[in-house]
Amino acid sequence: MPADAATAAVVRPAGPALEMAGIGKRFPGVLALENVDLTLEPGKVHALMGENGAGKSTLIKILAGVYQRDAGTVRIGGAEADLRSPRDALRAGIKVVFQEIALISEFTVAENIFLEEYPVNGLGSIRWSTIRKEAAALFARLGFDVDPAAKVGQLPVSQQQMVEIARALAHEARIVVMDEPTSSLTPNEVALLFTVIRRLTGLGIAVLYVTHKLDEVFEIADTVTVLRDGRHISTRPIGAHTHESLIQDMIGRKIDNLFPRERGAARGDVVVKVEGLSTDKLKDVSFEAKAGEVLGFFGLMGAGRTELAKAIVGFDPIRTGRISIGGTPLVPHNTRTGVALGIGLLTEDRKSEGLMLELPVLQNTSLAALEDFARAGFVDEGRERSAVQQFVDRFRVKTPSLNQQIKNLSGGNQQKVLLARWLMRGLKVIVVDEPTRGIDVGAKSEIFALIDRLAGEGLAVIMMTSEMPELLGLSDRIAVMAEGRITAVMDREGATQEAILNAAIA
Amino acid sequence: MSETTQAAKPAPVLGRLAENSQIVLLGLLVLLCIGISLGSPQFYSVENIIAILRQCSLVLIVAAGMTMLLIAAEVDLSVGASLAFSGVVAMDVTNKTGSVALGVLAGILFGGAVGLFNGLVVTRLRVNSLIATIATMMILQGSVFLYSREAVQNKHQQVAFTEISTGYVGPVPIPVIIAAVVFVAAFIVLRYTTIGRYIYAVGANQKAARLSGIRPERLKLLVFVVTGLLTGLAGLILTSLMNAGQPTAGRGFELTVIAAVILGGTSLLGGRGTLIGTLLGVLVLKVIDNGIIILRWDQNLQMVVPGVVIIVATYLDLIRSRANAR
Repeated sequence: MPADAATAAVVRPAGPALEMAGIGKRFPGVLALENVDLTLEPGKVHALMGENGAGKSTLIKILAGVYQRDAGTVRIGGAEADLRSPRDALRAGIKVVFQEIALISEFTVAENIFLEEYPVNGLGSIRWSTIRKEAAALFARLGFDVDPAAKVGQLPVSQQQMVEIARALAHEARIVVMDEPTSSLTPNEVALLFTVIRRLTGLGIAVLYVTHKLDEVFEIADTVTVLRDGRHISTRPIGAHTHESLIQDMIGRKIDNLFPRERGAARGDVVVKVEGLSTDKLKDVSFEAKAGEVLGFFGLMGAGRTELAKAIVGFDPIRTGRISIGGTPLVPHNTRTGVALGIGLLTEDRKSEGLMLELPVLQNTSLAALEDFARAGFVDEGRERSAVQQFVDRFRVKTPSLNQQIKNLSGGNQQKVLLARWLMRGLKVIVVDEPTRGIDVGAKSEIFALIDRLAGEGLAVIMMTSEMPELLGLSDRIAVMAEGRITAVMDREGATQEAILNAAIA
Repeated sequence: MSETTQAAKPAPVLGRLAENSQIVLLGLLVLLCIGISLGSPQFYSVENIIAILRQCSLVLIVAAGMTMLLIAAEVDLSVGASLAFSGVVAMDVTNKTGSVALGVLAGILFGGAVGLFNGLVVTRLRVNSLIATIATMMILQGSVFLYSREAVQNKHQQVAFTEISTGYVGPVPIPVIIAAVVFVAAFIVLRYTTIGRYIYAVGANQKAARLSGIRPERLKLLVFVVTGLLTGLAGLILTSLMNAGQPTAGRGFELTVIAAVILGGTSLLGGRGTLIGTLLGVLVLKVIDNGIIILRWDQNLQMVVPGVVIIVATYLDLIRSRANAR
């Protein structure tokens, strides 16, 4: 490959490309990072691993200038750097390719690449021909085939990623960060991505590769740093790791006892029966859940947990398969039938699918059960109010009054209201999708206790989670999903974290 | 909506908030009345007040439906065109059958059919309601001339037909009574029934409503049809008032209706709004209209002043809600 102008501009400092030392970051109520070190060498791929919530995202957002660190130092090419904004980071030679691609979909590829600084002529007019030529040159150097004149919105995600990487070169970045870059790629696209990454390192660029996929790390990384609960656990050359040692580092040995188990082991009849369920994302999923048990579904991002949750409550259409609740088939396949049969979904996306933000706690709680308080279509607000008050008290929802707009409550209290919405309705089955997402630790244990109690009261609880502790702490049985299929079902007694993760990666 | 929750048990914080959301408008209305009557004492004559109420009635009838639509996060811009066409149909059917009852029925049902069409396009074809109802407006404005090239006169001079708008019950004009009945019915539905609650729920968060077993499409279809029927009713009254079905009537009517509803504090984003607010919005706009006439100002100000008022009132309401948020 000829060393043209842009390549020559990529400086190769003698020392590390990036040194982060003693990085700390605190959010209200959460210590997201504590004393984390990270050193990147030019021309090397450094993998950053950890479970959800380990602090990977926080760390790279600090690097991207999105968050400000509370403690520690950042040195880039030996010089101390203060990254106060994404613009600062870009100027310092750091390019972060986020999972959510940050391109303007209505612009062309070439326009996106030079978005921050368009080359202009003496009159201040943008030199479009230069932009197109330079974009084409960048692509040629990276060895991939994207039309610079194509609109970004019309490209597949894999090519959009390539455009992002090309932007890194256009900005003469010395450090490229990739956040879960393969989460929506096909195997062929992953292979292409790895080729591109090797070209980047060939240019002397340091790559930070953030992932929780073990196989990729063994294929592409030179060094691995593992974070857990916001702390630095280990940094080792990849040769010093085995699959087992990496998993060990990621999940630790012991899981804290956040999970007070009160309910007995008794299980009742089968209330949910799913046979051969397929949708766009799900392939031939079959399982049963019994009254009084918590059936935990584990899977990595994109495994199809949320899709399964939405399909079995009737929210998303299904292609083939049978779902029955308490022996009655879920036909027609919609939420009205689902709710009538006694299955409801506690959504992972509270804001867009759960809460009516502008409305008070009262309306938010009674929504699903409103018919129970109505006679001839008229709502008996007195009865409604006292029933809602009972649930608010029982769940210890902290709210000044039932008339408080729900948007003013904390995440934990909002989640309790949404749980109460379903329990007022009187369900046989509740599907909870990432029940503790965005909830601080104190409220988490309360939600866990509520879920435990629900199962104890005879509900079948189907829990979708990507949190290993949650899964092991609450489930009676565990189903593991990967790429839209169930790859393993195990009893909790027989389940090990290793076995679960292996099934999830399969 | 906060208003609703205030009903069963007095809740000091939200009670005040609910009053507050209308207080700007109420204050504005009082100021207008004082200002106008200082300029022209005849403002407070019984005749003038009845005239104002009569002018409010047409807008209020349709605005009741429009309030529900906006709360459900939809909108209907075809009400002006539908108003004219329904009137033409009502007059024509009355002429052809000789029966006022059949004409009335035809006019109202025509409006309902337009609402049904809008509702189906929005809920089945999933065309955005803003676009869908602009298209319907264009279709109606054109096809009304295919139906009748000129105004349809009350050929047989049916008195019963003109009585619909000119008649009185005691001192109160019939259109005012019709509007009052429509208003009270809509008020009760929105505030006390499950359907009303679901309209708010669907507008506030359609996905959450669906997950709770509500069928948002059916509910929206229903509200479109109700708005259509009310538009047909208003078209009938307008035609009776003019004693002729006028194809060009109702131009810009949809904007007056939507302006009144928005002025009343109903959110374009759905989930928020009250009929009391809409009533105040209609009153403010019509008092301004009336004031400009009796003060003998330039009639073109009838468009200018409401425009300014909408911006000012919306801004004041924004300030109020920011102050409340603190």
